[in-house]
Amino acid sequence: MNGAKKTINVKVNGESYELSIKPKMTLLQLLRNELGLTGTKQACMDNSCGACTVIVNKMAVKACSVLAMQVNGKEVTTVEGLASKDGKLSILQEAFLEHSAFQCGFCSPGKLMSSTAMLEEMEDPTEEDIRRDMEGNLCRCTGYVQYLAAIKSVVQKRKEGKR
Amino acid sequence: MNERSVVGKPLPRIDGKAKLTGRAKYTTDIVLPGMLHAKLLRSPLPHAKIRSIDTSKAEKLPGVVAVITGKDTWGIRYGFVDTPNYPAEERPIAEDKVRFIGETVAAVAAIDPDTAEDALDLIEVDYDPLPPIFDPVEAMKDGAPQIHGEITRTTSCAWEDWGVARKSHSYTPENNVAARALVTYGDIEKGFAEADYIREDHSRSPGTSHMAMEPHTMVASWDPFEEKLDVWMNHMAYELKRYWLHKTLNIPITKIRIHKTYIGGAFGGKAPCFDYEVICGFLSRKLCKPIRIELTREEVFSSCRNSHRFDIDVKTGVKKDGTIVAQHVKVIVDAGAYKCSAPVAMFLSHAMCDCCLDRKNVRHEGVAVYTNKNFNFARRGHGAPQMRLAADCQYDQICEDLGLDPVEFLMKNLRKKGEVIPNGDRLDSFGLPDAIKKSAEAIGWKEKRGKQRDKNRGVGIGINGMFSGSGYWPFACTAIIRLNHDGTITLIEGDCEFGQGADTSYSQIAAEALGLNLEDVTLISSDSELCPMNYSNFLSGGLFVGGGAVYNAALDLRDKILKVASEVMRAKPEDIELKDKKAFLKSNPRRSYTFTEIQRYNIQKHAGDPLFGLGYKKAVPEIEFYPSLSKGTGRFTDAYGFTASTAEVEVDRETGRIKVLKIVVADDCGYEINPAAIQGQMVSQAVQGMGDALYEEIMDDEGRVLNPNLVDYEIPRAFDIPEIEVIDCSDFEPKGPWGGKEAGECARAAVISAIVNAVYDATGVRVMKIPITPERMFNALKAQEK
Amino acid sequence: MKDFEYFSATSLQEACSLISQYKDVGKILAGGQSLITLLRQKLISPTCLIDIKGLKELDYIEFDKKSGLRIGALTTHRAIEKSSLIQEKYNVLSEMEKSVASVQTRNWGTIGGNLCSADPIGDPAPSLIVLGAKLKLVSAKGERVVPLEDFFTDYFTTVIEPDEILAEIQLPPPAANTAVEYMKFATIEAGIKIVSTSVAVTVEAGTDVCKDAKIVMSAVAPIPLITKKAAEMLKGKKLTDDVIEEAAKMAASETDPTTDVHASAEYRKEIVKVLVKRATKKAFEKAKKA
Repeated sequence: MNGAKKTINVKVNGESYELSIKPKMTLLQLLRNELGLTGTKQACMDNSCGACTVIVNKMAVKACSVLAMQVNGKEVTTVEGLASKDGKLSILQEAFLEHSAFQCGFCSPGKLMSSTAMLEEMEDPTEEDIRRDMEGNLCRCTGYVQYLAAIKSVVQKRKEGKR
Repeated sequence: MNERSVVGKPLPRIDGKAKLTGRAKYTTDIVLPGMLHAKLLRSPLPHAKIRSIDTSKAEKLPGVVAVITGKDTWGIRYGFVDTPNYPAEERPIAEDKVRFIGETVAAVAAIDPDTAEDALDLIEVDYDPLPPIFDPVEAMKDGAPQIHGEITRTTSCAWEDWGVARKSHSYTPENNVAARALVTYGDIEKGFAEADYIREDHSRSPGTSHMAMEPHTMVASWDPFEEKLDVWMNHMAYELKRYWLHKTLNIPITKIRIHKTYIGGAFGGKAPCFDYEVICGFLSRKLCKPIRIELTREEVFSSCRNSHRFDIDVKTGVKKDGTIVAQHVKVIVDAGAYKCSAPVAMFLSHAMCDCCLDRKNVRHEGVAVYTNKNFNFARRGHGAPQMRLAADCQYDQICEDLGLDPVEFLMKNLRKKGEVIPNGDRLDSFGLPDAIKKSAEAIGWKEKRGKQRDKNRGVGIGINGMFSGSGYWPFACTAIIRLNHDGTITLIEGDCEFGQGADTSYSQIAAEALGLNLEDVTLISSDSELCPMNYSNFLSGGLFVGGGAVYNAALDLRDKILKVASEVMRAKPEDIELKDKKAFLKSNPRRSYTFTEIQRYNIQKHAGDPLFGLGYKKAVPEIEFYPSLSKGTGRFTDAYGFTASTAEVEVDRETGRIKVLKIVVADDCGYEINPAAIQGQMVSQAVQGMGDALYEEIMDDEGRVLNPNLVDYEIPRAFDIPEIEVIDCSDFEPKGPWGGKEAGECARAAVISAIVNAVYDATGVRVMKIPITPERMFNALKAQEK
Repeated sequence: MKDFEYFSATSLQEACSLISQYKDVGKILAGGQSLITLLRQKLISPTCLIDIKGLKELDYIEFDKKSGLRIGALTTHRAIEKSSLIQEKYNVLSEMEKSVASVQTRNWGTIGGNLCSADPIGDPAPSLIVLGAKLKLVSAKGERVVPLEDFFTDYFTTVIEPDEILAEIQLPPPAANTAVEYMKFATIEAGIKIVSTSVAVTVEAGTDVCKDAKIVMSAVAPIPLITKKAAEMLKGKKLTDDVIEEAAKMAASETDPTTDVHASAEYRKEIVKVLVKRATKKAFEKAKKA
C-alpha cells in the first residue's frame, strides 16, 4: 500500500531505536517529531540553509534532505549528542560559548554539527578549508566572524595539545 | 569611573549552554498533546474580488478538523498604525477582496501538516480579477485602480487606550495614498537662496527580507474551562502581540499568556501582528484544541513583512566650503497592500537622520502608497538605511563636485554634543565625531581616498544615528528583583531574547549594581504572565528602556539592602559596600553581614517584608502622549546611538563584480555592557549591510515574488565575509544604564552608504540604486564608457 | 509531501528489476539532494521510490592507464573531491566538486544523481563533457554506453529511459599536453551560478599552438552547451590574447541564455566572454607546462 509504514533500526546519539515510519518521513521529521530531538532545526525546507545539519556515519548531512528510511542501520549524531550526559560541553561547544559565536542560536546546532564533522575529518584545516566547509550553514545574526574564530581556536588548541 | 567587575566584560552568554546543546526551546519546538496543525490558502492573484469559496471538499478530507474563511473572521481589523486618522485595515483572512499575491483567503486545521496542505488544494475559490497596480507613482495617478475603499473602524486600537483621542473616523484613501508626512523647520527657500551649490539626486532602496532563521511560527492553546489562551510565538515584545490578540479575538488581555520561547532571529520582522497569529488563536478557541502554524520559508518571503521599498529625491544646498544650508527630501514609500508601518517609516527616515548633521533648513515630505504587493515593516533601522543611502551618497558626490573631502565635510556639518535638535531632543552623548575620525583612520582614508582608482579600488564612508526606543507606544518597562534566601537574586523583566543578548546584558546590569556575579542572577523573562509591563524590545529600546528598568530596580534593591544593613551595622549607608553577597564596612571589610542575614533581620524586624527591588523606565519621560508622526513635532527619543562606517572595495571592471575588502564599524553605544555582544551586533550589521549594498532584493513580477527562497534570495555566507574591524567609540550616556544605549540597528545603514561610496571611489561611477549587483555595476560601467 | 511506496534495492540487479516493474510510476532515489526538495514542493509525486543509495557496487573510483577512469554512479561528490587519485590525474574534477552546493550535499549526494537530475546549472557536467565522459546505463534488458554530451535533451530531461539506471561514468585517460580549467561566476561566492565554463586546451608539445580545444558552458542553455565554433577558432592557432578574445566572443554568440532573478540574458553573454577568456588563458598556460 502506498505510504505503508516500514520498520527501520537506527542508532541516535548512542541509543538504538526500532521505529515504524512512513517512507516519506525525512530524517529531520524523525528526529524532531518521533524522537523529540528538537535541537535540530528546520529553517528553509529546501536544502539551502544547513540549520538541520546532523552527522550520519561521521558525515555532516542535511536532515531535511535525507529520508529517514535511508539511515536504516546507520548511526546519527545530533546536537543533543555532543555534550556528555553529565553536562560537559564538547570542545567546540566550549569554544562557541567563549567566543559568543551565536546570537539567536537557531542555526547554531547545524553549525556545531558541520564543524564537529569537519574537525573529525581534517586535522589542521586552513582558513579556506573552514570557510568552505561551513559554506552550507547560513547565519543571519552573527555575521560569521565570531564562530569562525571559535572553530579556529579549537584547531589552534589541538595543535598546542599535540606539542 | 569606578572599577566595574560584571558590566564592561565580555562574559559568556547565559543562554549559551541551552542554545549550544539543543535544549533551548524555540516556538517551532513546542509540542502540545492533541495539537492540530493549520495551513493557509494564499491568493494567487494580486487584486481580485472573491465571488465565492467552496470548502466542502476540503472539509470532507479525512483528518481535516476545520476550514475557515473570511466569513468566519469578518470585521476583525488590526494594524501597526491604528490611529484616529489612520484606522487599521489589515484583516486575518481576506473578506470580499484580495489585494496581493499571498494574502490569506482560507485556513485549514488538520491532524497533521501534510493533511492540512492537501486540503488547501481542495478549496475552490471563485475570483473576479481586478486590474492591479504595482508601481507607487502609477498608483497615485488619477484613474489608477483603487486598492482600498472606505476604511471603517471596527476593532479599537492600542493607541486610544494610551491616550490618543478616542474619537476617530472612517476614511477612504484617495489615489491610493495610505499616509502623508511633512516635517519642516527653518526657511527652506532662504536656505537654498544662500547656497553656492545645489544638487538633486534620486536613490532607490529595494524591499529586502529580514531572513530570520526561525520561520514565523505560533502555537496557541485555548482552555475552555478557564477561558484562557496560552500562546508560544515569534515576537519582539509580548505586550504588543498580547494587545492585538486581545483586541482581535476579544479575549481579556490577562486571559492571554505569552510564554517565553527563544526567538530565532527577528531584525524587526516579527514585531507586528500577523494574519496567521490571529487565525491560530481563532482556530484554537473555535476548536478548543492546541493549534500550531509554522509558515514555510516561501510564505515568510511572500506573505510576511519585508523592508520598505523607498524612492527618495534629495535636493541639498551647500556653501562653497561644504556647509549644508538647506535640504529638501521627497520620500515615496511603497507600502504594499496594507499600510502597516509605512506611515512610521517615512517619518522615521527624517527623525532618525536629523540627529547627525545640522542641515539648518529642512523640508521632508513623505507619502506612503498602496500597491498590490505584499506589504512591509521595519527592518533594522526602519527607514534610516534608505534615507542615509540617499543623503550620504549625495554628500559624497557634492564633495566630488566641489573638491572637498567627505570626512571633512561630515565633520564640518556635525551636530554638537549637548545640542538640542529641532524637535527638542538633546544630544547628551554624541560619539559620532570620534567614530568618523577613527573609522577613517582605520581604513587608511588619507592614503587611499581617490588614490586607488587605477587599481579599481576605493574607500567610502557612511554615518547613522538611531533611537534608543521612543515615545511611540508607551515604550515603558518595569523590572522586579527579588533577593533570595542565599543572597542571590531573581530578576524578573519582560524583554524577549531574540539573539541580541538581552537576557545576559540585563543580568549583568543587575549583578553589577548589587556587587554580585553573573552566576548569582536567576532570570525570569519574556513571559507575559510572570513578568511586569514591558514595551521596549524594538526601535532599539531594549537596553536603554528595558535595561534601564532593570538598572533602576537593582538600585532600588541596593538602597533597601543598604538601609537594613546600616541598621544592623549601625553605620551610615554611604560607608557600606556590597560585594560577594555581603554588606561590609568600607573602612573595615571584616565587619560584614551576609545578604542572607540582612534578609532575615529585615523579616524579623520589619513585619516580614522580604527585600524586593522595583524599577521602571520610560523611553522619553517628558512625552505624555504621542508625538505627531505626520508633522514630526515632539520629542523622539532620550538617547541616540551613532555609527560611522568605512569600507574598502575592489571592482572587477570586466564583470562588474564587487569584492568588499574591509569594513570598519566605529560605534557609539554609550557603554559596552557586554563587549562581546556589542562586537556581535556590529559584525552582524556590517554583514547585513554588505548584503543590502550588493546582493539582496525581493524581486517580483506583477506582484509575484520571484525569489522566495534561500537559493534565489542570496545572503552573505561564510566565504563572502571580508575583514571587519569594530571600534568602540562609546560616549557615556548619562540617562542609560551604566551609560549604555542603542547598539543593534544603527550601524547597518552606515555600512550600506560606506560600501556604495567606496564603489564610486573605485570606479568614478555613481550607482544610487541598491543592491549593486554585478550586472547593475557592469551596466553602469558600460554607460560610463559611452 | 505525498505518500509513496518505498523499496530499498540490495543489488543493481534487483534495482533494475524493480524499476522495470514500476517504471511508469516510480523514481530512482540516490542521494536525493534534489529529489526530496522536488517531492516536498510536489513538483513531482511518484507513487514509488526505488532507493539505490545503499548499493556499494556502484560506489567506486578506479583508474586504469589504458582504459581510464571509472566512477561508480553512487560515488558521492565528497569522495570525488577528496580522492587523491582524481586530484592527481583529473584535478579539475576535484576543484570543480568544491563548488558543488555545500559539504553536506556533497557528503550525501551522488555524481550519478546529479547528472540524472539534469539541472542546467549543474557543476559537474561541463567538466565531465570536456574530459570526454561516457555514461553506462543499465536496465533489466541490458546496458548501453552514451557519451555525456549526448545525454541531456532539455531542462531536467535526459535520454535515460524510465527503466534505466545510470551505473557508471567513464573517462578516457588524461590527454597529453592538455589542461582543463573550470570557472564559475555567481553574485555571492557560493551562489547560484550565473555562468560556468569548463575549457580544455591541448597544445602542440613545446609550442604555443593549440592542437585541440573544447569549451562547455552551463547556465546559458537548457542543457550544458558545447560551443564548438569558439573551440574551432582556437585550434591550430597560437593562442595570443587576441585569438582568445575572439573565441570568447564567438562562444558568447553561440549561447542562448535566459533571463532570471540572478541575471539577464544579455549580461550572461557578457560574462561568457569574460569567463571563456579567463579559463582559456589559464588552461593554455597550464597545458604548456603539462
